[in-house]
Amino acid sequence: MMDDFEKQIKEALAKQDPSPFFEARVLGAVKRQARERRASLRMWWASAVVAMLLVVTGSAWQQHQKAVREEAAGKEAKARLELALKITSVKLQRISRKVEGI
Amino acid sequence: MPGQAVGTETELDNPGPRTFAGVLRAKQSMVFSIAYHFLRDRSAAEEVAQDVFLQLHRRFEELKSDEHVSFWLRKVASHRCIDYVRKQKSQAAGGLAVSLEDVPMPSVDGKPQDHFLNRRLQSLIASLPEKPRMVMILRYQEDLMPEEIATVMEMPVRTVKSHLQRSLAMLREKIDRSMGDVR
Repeated sequence: MMDDFEKQIKEALAKQDPSPFFEARVLGAVKRQARERRASLRMWWASAVVAMLLVVTGSAWQQHQKAVREEAAGKEAKARLELALKITSVKLQRISRKVEGI
Repeated sequence: MPGQAVGTETELDNPGPRTFAGVLRAKQSMVFSIAYHFLRDRSAAEEVAQDVFLQLHRRFEELKSDEHVSFWLRKVASHRCIDYVRKQKSQAAGGLAVSLEDVPMPSVDGKPQDHFLNRRLQSLIASLPEKPRMVMILRYQEDLMPEEIATVMEMPVRTVKSHLQRSLAMLREKIDRSMGDVR
C-alpha cells in the first residue's frame, strides 16, 4: 500500500511521451539496419561462393596437374623400357651371332 | 504467423497487435520514460530508447508474448541507461562535471506546488546512485514489485528492498528539509 509520499513520487515519475518524430525515426533506423543486414548477408554469400569456386578450381587444377605429371612419368617409363628392351635385343642378337659362329 | 514478417517494409508501415511497429507504438513511452527519468535529458533518452528498439527488432522473433516483450524492454532499457551514464562519466572524467540537479527540467502543467514538488523529487531521484535510481524508477514508474525489479536488474530481492528503503528515507528527509526551507 502506497502512502501519500510514495504517490507523489509516482506522480513525479509519470510516463512521458517522446517527441512526435521518435516512432518514425526508429522505424527509419530499423529499415536501414535491415537493409545493411541484407547487404552484409549478400556480401557473405558472395564471399562464400567465391571461396567455394576457388577451392573447386584449385582442386581441379591440382587433379589436372597430377594427371599430367603421371602421364609424363608413364611416357618416360615407357621410353626407358623400350630403350632397355632395344639394348637387350641388340645384346641378344650379338650373343646369338656368336653362338651361331661357334 | 506473428513475427513472421518482422522487418519487412509492409509490416513496418502497417502496425498490428503483435508486430514490431505495434510494439514500438505501444511501448515507446515506457522505454523513453525509463531513460528520461534516469538520464533527465530528452535527446539522450531518445537515443537510448532508439538503441533499445533496434536491439528489440533483431530479437523480436524470439520474444513470444507481450509480457516477455515488456520484461525484455525494461531489462534492456535499465542496463542501457546505466551503461550510458557510466560511459558518459568515463568520457567526462577530468572534464567539467555538471550535477544532474543543475540540469533544468522542461515545463510541466499542473498546480504550482505539485510542480515544484515534482521537480524537486525528480532532481533528488536523479541524484541517487545509478542502481538505486533505476530501482526507484522501476518501482514507481513501472509499478513493479521488488521481486520483479530483482529479476529485471539481476540483483537479490533484499538488495532491491534495501535500495528502496534507503532511497525513500533519503528523499523524505531532503523533501522535509526543503519544504521547511520554503516555509
